[in-house]
Formats: sequence, C-alpha cells, structure tokens
Amino acid sequence: MSTRPATLDTMRRLPEYLVIWVPLLLAAGHLISFALWTIWVSFTPSTLVPVTGWVGLRNYNAVLATRNWNIAFDNLLLFGTAFVLLSLLMGLGLAILLDQRIRGENVLRSIFLYPLALSFVVTGTAWSWLLNPGIGIQKLVNNLGWTSFRFDWLIDRDMAIWTIVIAAVWQSSGFAMALFLAGLRSVDADLVKAAQIDGAGPLRIYRRVILPVLWPITVTVVVIQLQFAITTFDLVRALTGGGPGIATQLPALVVYDFMFQRGLLGRGAAAAVLMLLTLLAVLLPYWAWRYVQHRRASRA
Amino acid sequence: MKTITRRGALAGAAGLAAATSPGFSRAQAVKPRLTVISQWSAGSDGAAITALGKKFEEKGGVWQHSPVPGFTTEMMNKLRAQIMAGDPPACSQLKGPEIAAWSKIAPVATLDELVAAAGYEKVVAPDLAKLHKPGGKWIALPLQIYSTNMLFLSKRAMDKAKADKVPVTWADFNALAEQMKAAGVTHPIANGGTRPDDGQKFEAAIAGISPTVYRAAFMNLDAKALKAPEVKAAFAQVRKIADWMDPNTAAQHYSTNLKRFVAGEMGMMIQGGWAQGVLLNSGFKLEDFIIAPGPSDNGKPVFLLNADAFIFWQRKEADLQAGQKLMAQLVMDPAIQTMYSQITGSIPVRTDVDLSGAGWSDGQRRTAAALKDAVASNQAVLSLAHNMAQENGMTAAIIDVLTEYVKNKSITPDQAVARLTDAVEGAR
Repeated sequence: MSTRPATLDTMRRLPEYLVIWVPLLLAAGHLISFALWTIWVSFTPSTLVPVTGWVGLRNYNAVLATRNWNIAFDNLLLFGTAFVLLSLLMGLGLAILLDQRIRGENVLRSIFLYPLALSFVVTGTAWSWLLNPGIGIQKLVNNLGWTSFRFDWLIDRDMAIWTIVIAAVWQSSGFAMALFLAGLRSVDADLVKAAQIDGAGPLRIYRRVILPVLWPITVTVVVIQLQFAITTFDLVRALTGGGPGIATQLPALVVYDFMFQRGLLGRGAAAAVLMLLTLLAVLLPYWAWRYVQHRRASRA
Repeated sequence: MKTITRRGALAGAAGLAAATSPGFSRAQAVKPRLTVISQWSAGSDGAAITALGKKFEEKGGVWQHSPVPGFTTEMMNKLRAQIMAGDPPACSQLKGPEIAAWSKIAPVATLDELVAAAGYEKVVAPDLAKLHKPGGKWIALPLQIYSTNMLFLSKRAMDKAKADKVPVTWADFNALAEQMKAAGVTHPIANGGTRPDDGQKFEAAIAGISPTVYRAAFMNLDAKALKAPEVKAAFAQVRKIADWMDPNTAAQHYSTNLKRFVAGEMGMMIQGGWAQGVLLNSGFKLEDFIIAPGPSDNGKPVFLLNADAFIFWQRKEADLQAGQKLMAQLVMDPAIQTMYSQITGSIPVRTDVDLSGAGWSDGQRRTAAALKDAVASNQAVLSLAHNMAQENGMTAAIIDVLTEYVKNKSITPDQAVARLTDAVEGAR
C-alpha cells in the first residue's frame, strides 16, 4: 500500500471523502453558524426582527426573572429525570422479556417500536383525548361502574406534567428496547454458557454478566433521551398546551413563546442559549466519560 | 421575454409581464395584482376572504392569496421571513398595536389619499382609526369588527331554568347562572381552555364592572388603575365564572363545547361575535341561541373591540401598487363589508351600514347597536385578550397571570392583583 503514490490513493478514496465530509461540514456549518447567530442575537435589543446593538446580559436577566422560565425549568428537571428513568426501565424490561426466545417476537417488537413512527403531535393529541377526564379513561371506568374512579391529571396543575411523562415514555420506550435488545443479542453466548456451567442462576447471570455488558448502551440511551427531554416541544404543545394555566411549560415552549408569540427575539434567543447550556451540561460529562473510556481502552 | 411571459401566465398572468416591461405598462393601464398573506383558510373566514378575492378578480385584478393556517403567529412568521428577505406581500393581515410595531421594521404604503377620497375616516370609530394610522398616516385598513364580550345564551338552558330575561349587569348574570345550576344545567358557563379564552373572561368582567378602569389599566397601563378595587372585583367575578365552567375542557378550543351548549347542558357563553359564524357553520340555527352585549354594571353596553385589518406594504411594482389601490377601495366599500360580515358573523367597520335588511342576524344588529351606544357613551374599548390593547409581549405577560388564575383556584384575587402588577412591570 505504502508504495502506491499518494495522489492515486487520494483519487481512489475521493468518493468516500465527498460522501462523508461534504454533508458533515454542511451540517456542522449550519448548526454552528445558527448557534453563533442565536448567541449574538441574545445580546442585542432585537424584538420583531434581529437588530444590531449590545444590551449585555439584560435579556438573560429578564428571562431568568419570568415565572414562565422558572416553572419551565423546574418542569424540565422533573420531566427529564422521570422520563429518562422510566423509559430506560421500560425499554430494558421489554428487551429482556423479548429476549426469552418467545414466539411472535417480530410482531411484538414492531408493536413496541411502532409509537416511535408517530409524530409527537399525533401522540400528544391522542393522549389528550385519552387522559381527558370527561371523555377518556376516567369516563370509561366510571361508565363501567366504578363511579368514584378519578384520573384527572390532565387538568390537575400539580400532576399535569406526569401526563407528559406518560405519553413520552409510551412513545420512546420502544426505542430504548430496540437498543437494549441489540445489546442483549451481542452478549457473547460463551460467557453466558460459562456462567451457567459455574452454576449461576438466570437472575445472577443478568446481574453479573449481561447487564455490565449493556452499560455503554445504557449511557447512550440516557444521553439520547435526555437531549430529547430538553428539546421537547410538540408533545406538550399538543397534549396540554403548556397548561393548565402555565403549569406544564417547558424551556422549548418558552423560547418559542418569546420569539414568535411575544415578538421578543432577543429574550427568546437568551432562553435558547440557556437551553443550549443545559444540553451541554448533559453532553460534556458524556464526552468526558467517552474520552476516559477511550484512553483506558487504548492503554490496555 | 417569452419564458418570462409563460411563467407569468402561471403565476399571475399579464401583471408580471407588465411589470417587467416598463414600455408596456406606460402604454397601457396595468392589470392590478395583489399578493396577500392571511391565516384565513377554512370555515367562514376562508369563505369570506375567498369571496373578497372573487370581487377583486371581477374588477379585473389578479388575486394571489397565500393562506397560512393555524395560529396568528404562524402567519406572522411567514410575514417576518418575507420582510427580512425584502419581499413583503403587497397586503397582509395584521391588527391592533402590532400595526404600529411592524410598520417600523419595513416601509409601508400610505393610504391617506384613498381614505380621504372615500370619506372613510368619518365612518370609523375613533379609537379604531387611531390604530390604523400610527404617526398620523393611514397604513392599514380595518376589515371587520367583533365584540369579544358578547353573551350567548342557550335557548334550551333558558327553558330549563324557566328564565326569559337577558342579564344586563354582572349581578343579573350571576343570578341567572345560579338559577340554571339549580335547574339542572350541569355547567352554566360553556368555555374553552385556551389562553385568549381565559383572557376574554377577565376582560369581559373588568370592562363590564368599569370601562373607565379598564381603559386606564389595560389600554394605558396606569400603575394605580392596575391595583384598583375594580380589578380585584373582576378577579372575584372570574373565579365565579371559573367555578361554573367544565374543568375537563383542559386546553381545548371553545367550539368543542358548542354542541353541549346548544343542547342546554351548558347555559351561557362569553365569546366573540365570531362564535355566531362558527355555530351556524356547525349546522345550528339562529333559534338555538340568543346573542346580547356582555354584562355591564352601569346598564349601558360595553364594547370590547376586536378588528381584523389589512396592512399594506410598500412595493415598487406598478401592478402591485394598482392592486393595493383596488384592494383598499374594496375594503372600504360598504357593499364589500356587508358581504364579508354576513359570511363571518362580524359587523362592518363602517358605522353607516344599514343592518336592517335580510342577511343580518339579530345578534349582528344588536352588536352594531351596542357599538353605536358604546361609542356615544365612551364605553367602546380595545380588547386585551385579542391583542388590540397592547403589543403581543405585554399581552402575553398579562394573560400568563389570567390563565394561571382561571386554572388555579388557590390564588386569591389579592394575590392575582399583585401578580398582575408584577407581570406588567416585568414586561414594560
């Protein structure tokens, strides 16, 4: 290989470079330029359209002082944690059950994955009818005879955020399941056999042999779900509209509200940058962890 | 030239051809062309603007309407994008104080000559006129008027309660609601759960209690008026209304409940005049409901004004300018306003249109009469909930407080007043 002239090698690999680097650079350029632009707008007095000027941290202070943002951020912590944990557990549970070499696995897998194919607006709208106490699940159970049954989280401002958790978990535990299932299938069968020969029971095998192998997949699922949680918008919009009142606001809704509803681009951009910082708070530790893993692997 | 002509035939026929060849446009009058953006795409709104477009075409114009369905904000996003690209539509929907705000970000056309020639200013309510001529120049034209605080009474619920008197004051209103509740009307108030809906209940309450305080507090944002006892009383009235509503409505649109309202399961609805168009469009009859001005404690009607309007953006093309002129003339024309309002259920902007003929409902006649009375007694005010009193940023900050108050029964009127003043200060 090394004897071949470098130019010829480059020529041969040109399609690869083009296919990989051109879209990658375009995407990255797009993303970075818009992110930089948003950061710049967040320091300007822009209202209906972007304008030049410098107002320092005024937009940030204004956003942080609004009730909307504070409610949204509290909601994000609650929703983010609950959603990630529940979808993780659901996904893992489903994957383990499916991994028992059962009949009809393909059908079941499609069923559990199917919600992912729906748009969040559809999910949100469907659940908004199901969860509406006047027409949905509560009404059904009431009509079946259990008249004191109450399931009115959708209109309870303290519980409404959990309806979003329910819908989001329903939508995306199939995704977690698919990743975990792939992980389970990639576990070396010899390892499992060896454990069996050593007399380990199925519980012990899962705890000691299989789950440790799934660790990197778990981290991936958590990171993907977290970044989804932080950017959730359409689901809330369709399910609760941010209500009752403003009880289920999430940061993405606040950004949209400032930018397009209120015509305050500067403040909206500031809220968007705060969201980006939240995302980085999730991603930076992940990247650091990946880096450490990588270093360890190359040293070994 | 040939390719341009062919493309022109697709997009807007001779208009474009005329614009691209100045010699042609000088030799012959250009064919008026109008590019329009609005959110009106379906239902009675869509039917009305389509009918307006037909009239425009009958006068020899080329009508190019791009509806952006959904919320007004979606329409505004398209408008913003086009303005930033340097290609604003010749004419777009926009209303209230946003007309002044948006006119600062892009050049607008001046309509003073056309308005003067039509003698239009004399027949428009003064507060309304002011919104459409920021800086003293007419740049936008109101198209139709709604009152946001009309009281709709379900005939069947009235029969159930054996009531036949239309409530005039808030005390009458509360008494009737109690009466309905006692007679087995499950929810005396039919409602939706959206933000403007919550805002509307509050503005109807405060304007009905005192239009003077409403004007000072919500149109002029007077800090003292915002803390007035009347504002607190309005919050207390809204709490009563909220207790009579169906809590299960969540964030749904008010129209979801129209069937139950007509059936008499719900008794009254405080809604804009547009609900008439929606009711009729849903197949209900005028005999199913009564429309009256919203409760007013001094007995004289209070009119919370909401008006749809068109703003005209500056364009250099001769055909677009001709189109703007034709459109302005049409919008000011009493016959066109009659046609438009008869489709949507609104009332004409012109105060000199006769509503006695067929095609108008009693509700519309009553609305028009209420506007006349309200203007005479200085009780015609601009709606907050529908973005007529304040720019969107301020409106949204106030509605946050109102919508939270409606949905959260543990907030007291005193706390609500405090939150309201905080929200206004924060958004100033």
